[in-house]
Amino acid sequence: MARMKFLCDADRCIECNACVTACKNENEVPWGINRRRVVTLNDGKPGERSVSMACMHCTDAPCAAVCPVNCFYTTADAVVLHSKDLCIGCGYCFYACPFGAPQYPKVGNFGSRGKMDKCTFCAGGPEADGSKEEFEKYGSNRLAEGKLPLCAEMCSTKSLLAGDGDVIAQIYKERVTKRGYGSGAWGWQTAYRESIAI
Amino acid sequence: MATLIGKIRFIAGALALAFLIAIAAPASPASAQVNPTASAVKEQQLLNQLQGGVISGRVSIPDQKSANLIHPAGREWRRFHEVTLVWLGGIVIVGMIALLVIFFLWRGRIPIEGGRSGRKILRFTGFERFVHWLTATCFVLLGITGLNITFGKRLLLPIMDAHAFSEWSEFAKFVHNYISFGFTVGVLLMFLMWVGQNFPTAADAEWIKRGGGILSKKGGDHPPAWKFNAGQKMLYWLVTLGSIAMIVSGFILMFPFYGGLNIGNMELAQVFHGVVAMLFVAMILAHIYLGTVGMEGAFEAMGEGTVDENWAKAHHPLWAKEEAARGPRGHEPLVTPAE
Amino acid sequence: MLIKRTERQARRSALAASLPGQSGSGFDRRTFLRRSGLAAGALATIGALPLATVRKAEAAGPNVAGATIRKNFCTHCSVGCTVMAEVSNGVWVGQEPGWESPINRGSHCAKGAATRELVHGDRRLRYPMKLVNGQWQRISWDAAINEIGDKMMEIRAKSGAESVYWLGSAKFTNEQAYLCRKLAAFWGTNNVDHQARICHSTTVAGVANTWGYGAMTNSYNDIRNSKTIIFMGSNAAEAHPVSLQHILTGKEINRANVFVIEPRMTRTAAHATEYVRIRSGTDIPIIWGMLWHIFKNGWEDKEFIRQRVYGMDDVRKEVEKWDPAEVERVTGVPEAQLKRVAETFAKQKPSTFIWCMGATQHTIGTANVRAICILLLATGSVGGPGSGANIFRGHTNVQGATDLGLDVTSLPLYYGLDAGAWNHWARVWEVDYNYLKGRFDDPKLMETSGIPSTRWHDATLLPKDKVAQKDNLRAMFIMGHGGNTVTRMPETAKAIEKLELLVVADPVPTTWAVLSERKNGTYLLPACTSYEVDGSRTASNRSLQWGEQIVKPIFESKNDLEIMYLLAKKLGFADSMFKNIKVEGNLPSAEDVLREINRGGWSTGYCGQSPERLKAHAKNQAKFDIVTLRAPADDPEVGGDYYGLPWPCWGTPAMKHPGTPILYNPSLAVKDGGGTFRARFGNEREEKAADGTVTKVSLLGDGYYSKDSEIKDGYPQFTYGVLKKLGWDKDLTDAERAVIERIGGGPDKSDGVAWSTDLSGGIQRVAILHNCIPYGNGKARANAWNLPDPVPVHREPIYTPRPDLVAKYPTRPDAVQFRVPNIGFTVQKAAVDKGIAKQFPLILTSGRLVEYEGGGEETRSNKWLAELQQDMFIEINPADAAERGITDGGWVWVTGAEDSAKAKMKALVTERVGKGVTWCPFHFAGWYQGVDQRAKYPKGADPVVLGESVNTLTTYGYDPVTGMQEPKATLCQVRAA
Repeated sequence: MARMKFLCDADRCIECNACVTACKNENEVPWGINRRRVVTLNDGKPGERSVSMACMHCTDAPCAAVCPVNCFYTTADAVVLHSKDLCIGCGYCFYACPFGAPQYPKVGNFGSRGKMDKCTFCAGGPEADGSKEEFEKYGSNRLAEGKLPLCAEMCSTKSLLAGDGDVIAQIYKERVTKRGYGSGAWGWQTAYRESIAI
Repeated sequence: MATLIGKIRFIAGALALAFLIAIAAPASPASAQVNPTASAVKEQQLLNQLQGGVISGRVSIPDQKSANLIHPAGREWRRFHEVTLVWLGGIVIVGMIALLVIFFLWRGRIPIEGGRSGRKILRFTGFERFVHWLTATCFVLLGITGLNITFGKRLLLPIMDAHAFSEWSEFAKFVHNYISFGFTVGVLLMFLMWVGQNFPTAADAEWIKRGGGILSKKGGDHPPAWKFNAGQKMLYWLVTLGSIAMIVSGFILMFPFYGGLNIGNMELAQVFHGVVAMLFVAMILAHIYLGTVGMEGAFEAMGEGTVDENWAKAHHPLWAKEEAARGPRGHEPLVTPAE
Repeated sequence: MLIKRTERQARRSALAASLPGQSGSGFDRRTFLRRSGLAAGALATIGALPLATVRKAEAAGPNVAGATIRKNFCTHCSVGCTVMAEVSNGVWVGQEPGWESPINRGSHCAKGAATRELVHGDRRLRYPMKLVNGQWQRISWDAAINEIGDKMMEIRAKSGAESVYWLGSAKFTNEQAYLCRKLAAFWGTNNVDHQARICHSTTVAGVANTWGYGAMTNSYNDIRNSKTIIFMGSNAAEAHPVSLQHILTGKEINRANVFVIEPRMTRTAAHATEYVRIRSGTDIPIIWGMLWHIFKNGWEDKEFIRQRVYGMDDVRKEVEKWDPAEVERVTGVPEAQLKRVAETFAKQKPSTFIWCMGATQHTIGTANVRAICILLLATGSVGGPGSGANIFRGHTNVQGATDLGLDVTSLPLYYGLDAGAWNHWARVWEVDYNYLKGRFDDPKLMETSGIPSTRWHDATLLPKDKVAQKDNLRAMFIMGHGGNTVTRMPETAKAIEKLELLVVADPVPTTWAVLSERKNGTYLLPACTSYEVDGSRTASNRSLQWGEQIVKPIFESKNDLEIMYLLAKKLGFADSMFKNIKVEGNLPSAEDVLREINRGGWSTGYCGQSPERLKAHAKNQAKFDIVTLRAPADDPEVGGDYYGLPWPCWGTPAMKHPGTPILYNPSLAVKDGGGTFRARFGNEREEKAADGTVTKVSLLGDGYYSKDSEIKDGYPQFTYGVLKKLGWDKDLTDAERAVIERIGGGPDKSDGVAWSTDLSGGIQRVAILHNCIPYGNGKARANAWNLPDPVPVHREPIYTPRPDLVAKYPTRPDAVQFRVPNIGFTVQKAAVDKGIAKQFPLILTSGRLVEYEGGGEETRSNKWLAELQQDMFIEINPADAAERGITDGGWVWVTGAEDSAKAKMKALVTERVGKGVTWCPFHFAGWYQGVDQRAKYPKGADPVVLGESVNTLTTYGYDPVTGMQEPKATLCQVRAA
């Protein structure tokens, strides 16, 4: 069974934000919710690099561990999903997440949060694959259609890779070997407790 | 605390990084070659430098917390929340209950010495009782709904339907959020109402020296006390301080990231809230014990507002003397019921 | 009518229900996942291929059911990314990656990935509107066209045809652009322009004057072959993100050197191997500084220069003045660094040079471009794979719109404005030349360049006698062109108010609608986007792509072709204008328009790209190679073609020329897309020496020729007469000969009929039959004697931060250009005398954000994009910010050097800009001098994000050759608000 992962090759990422709008487009994500974002480190300075970041679908996901209502589950493809029916919007997963992935729509008064929303690896949610309910709550289920997340598929420079962890790690390794430099598989150490040795 | 240490490390790391960047940055176009590819930031290097802090950069969207790229400290918070806090809470709460049970078995219910005199003294006015019960009710609700966050999925979820548990938890979250305002008001009033009677006096030292007299199995040891004995004063101050801690950290959690707070601050607030809450609950359990089953005649003070004269003489001799000197005011029946 | 979300859901569920996995055939999700897990083993064979390819192998298969896929092309930049639209019940419900496109291979940038929202557009203009006493009122199309037409005729009667300005768009399809130019011709004016004026007009002029054609010589894909890449004044990572896919891959595979020469450390610079920071507006000193090292060390390609370049010695004289000390004094770049760049560029070949508006948008834009071309010529870096002048153009079809003559200086396809050109097009259009002549106020103006779009406000506001036509401009008819993209916006605001008629045909209201205090005489016509029409567009690499209509025009919007037809009908010349174009309802057939272009487009090789061939390319995208862009020779439909038949695609469509992926590439035969420099500037030139002696110097290629050429030397352009001399006229068919003789006016008078005017295509066919290029084999010009500065000369910006350099490097003297005076010299002198550089000590330069495009109205109305950039900002160096007490994210007032201009925006404190430099994005509008104008938009059609326009602050300065404005090097002051 595949182990789905994201890998952003920062030496290719040009902060074009295609991943961000592709996600909005595919999942009809509302204004103010950013399932994916691009962060630029060392902005304007030598060594500047941009990294596209979303839920990394961690091994032993911290969000799932701290959820007071256990609304998270991991699919057979190791995609970390959650049930908006169970989520109570407590916000704890945001504190636990090393990547700032969970997002909360502002509902009601004083910072009270709605149901958490995050990247689903374009794999929908607990509802039936491709159902209307699933789309309304979680967006597309591309995995069920045999496709990968649109953010990675549309990445302008093929910087953002999505797919089986071994495959994308191999692609990254070969790239680094070929070109002779690589700033690392951002977030892998934190998310999967592994780094790509080259 | 790991998070705090992490913070200091982060600041140091950030300074070190800023320094590195400063020396690497060209002062003018006249400097040597800048090769952005060769000098690119590397994740491992940043993680090492930051020592577990936050790797952050620039984003164009207004949500500045999204500028944090990687925040490995979430892991430490998770360990706190899922391990430390659970054990801590479990130990202090279950421990306290066990302690009280043992104490009860050993000491039994402390009777009013010399039996009831039949004469009542007004101990708490209607307003005082109202404030107490307002705070107490809020506290119990906050405690139950709060503990649900930590223990619900361990204790309730296994015996409940997931959706029902989720609905209960969401309800509990709202209750917790809204009741906090009542609690805040209650604590504030309680503080103002009783602060004058809770400054330490000479009698308190004696009271403390004699352990409140409570440890004497055969009874009869009645150290001096005014309206509030030293134990109650300690409770008063602990409740006041604990409540401030809970309220401040609670409001921070309720209004997340307001006022420029970052994820580290939020985690810290949660840690604080969690730890104080567990201790607070344990302490109040003891308070409840003493006010109810632990001591004959004590509940009446908050229940009806009056206490038996003999009870007062036994537990608050100085206050009882003072009340007696003041005249028959307290001897009249109460007009307003307690609640 | 728009039910996007529910539709989308319906489609999705239908899709899932019909998944093969669930119906028991094909592979299901688990199979796919298993396979993608197994793919690791197969990876050795895939090598370093990126994900797209891997995934394609795994999970290919078209979208199964529910929605149909329609293919169009992104309308946001010139890269030409394929957009795969899923359409269900007439609604665009989803976007899929266009894996098959050799140009983008599934990729998009933020704009392309959000482009679906552009069509749904909650903020689009829904119906025609008219301003009545300051209020927007809905009117019908009929009423709008009638009122507009009547008013135009009134202005024509009173002020003349030239008082109506036709501002077209780089977002037109080729057919729309061509028709717009034709409309202006039938109306009787050359006052017709589009965005190329303000982006690459200087490129087109500079490049065409160097070697023949004004276009990118190679392609994005071809940069994969480069070993050294220089970006100068190009931030491709933000302006052309998908191009970086090819560039970064090439960089990785070849371990290529990538230099970024810029005043600003851009996102592109972050991926360079070296970043060179320069002072804005000092491009020529940089290039001459490089050439100084190259000439001094003998790194130039001497054989290339001897065979293929005219006048390089004149350049040497100019370059000698730019020793490293002077270069550093003027540009700030140290000798060692520039020498390293020069040596790498000259030695580690193939080398390519990429530039954009950083080089072109200057008073010396044409000279900048020329200097770069000369550098390429000196190092022999043009006309082969991996080399060349890779000019990244801006808008989706700015190349096509330029080609098709939305230009004040030419009829379609660079024929110019002389009588020969008019006669050629009169023959193509089958109208009488004298009829066209009669449409003009003054026959002389028929052959005189019009007023460039950068000067329209001057032509409106200047005293009548200062404008060299019958009257000032009285009406602007604007189709898809922002108002905030032209410099000196305070002047724009005044001029808009003075117009009698303002018509804006655009999907969104644009700045034009709100900038001024106009109360009446303004019409907004909802035009649809290119996604709602059929038609071809030309990407920067000269490839034409045929996009199919994805959805019918939404709301009441109309295809620009239809709008132009309705107007022509109202103005009374529709019958002759659409003589050979089928019109269904009121909609002219895009295919027919393209066929007409084919029939007249010989000069630029727009003759071979028939709609049928282009459609076949769109259908067979997967067959084209990613590096060469060529399809296998044996393919039945597109065999041997280059993707999109990059122009010149010679001869008639039936001739099946494959297109020219790399211009001037002699290593290929002409029939395979090869060629030489164009013999455009005559066959020889008389040079006067200092002592008065005159020598004739050949301008034809010297002993070089393209592969298999039967003429093994330079040769002039082909005419009927040349064919006769060579004895090749016998290869013409009778039909071809008949056409040629008809054009010439008889068998004896037809020797002058050339490859570019022969409507039969016979001359081109025969030339290519002998593997000769129809336009002749000439030399490129290092000395372009017809330009104001034949050899580029550095000139300081009008508002320079270095007034001490003005005496040595002044701008050109005042002159009348394009019907209006250009008083740059006077302005520059006044600025120096008044000490403007002290009052406004910061350089202000401008550029692009990846999320937005052009004037930005359309993209700022797209909520997915708008969310990513919610505020106009100015980048300022931390040192400058600290001096002024400015904090990152805080509000500032920026003041400009002219018109007491001021603008309020946020500060972005960053080291991207050096000390003394500020930078602003140019996409914002809707705030003017601190005032939010949101209320002035028609209700519901205001963009999501508004902000100050940088052009409120930009200042005087025009290139003498093209009228290009100067938004890249001016001065400003910033203070905390």
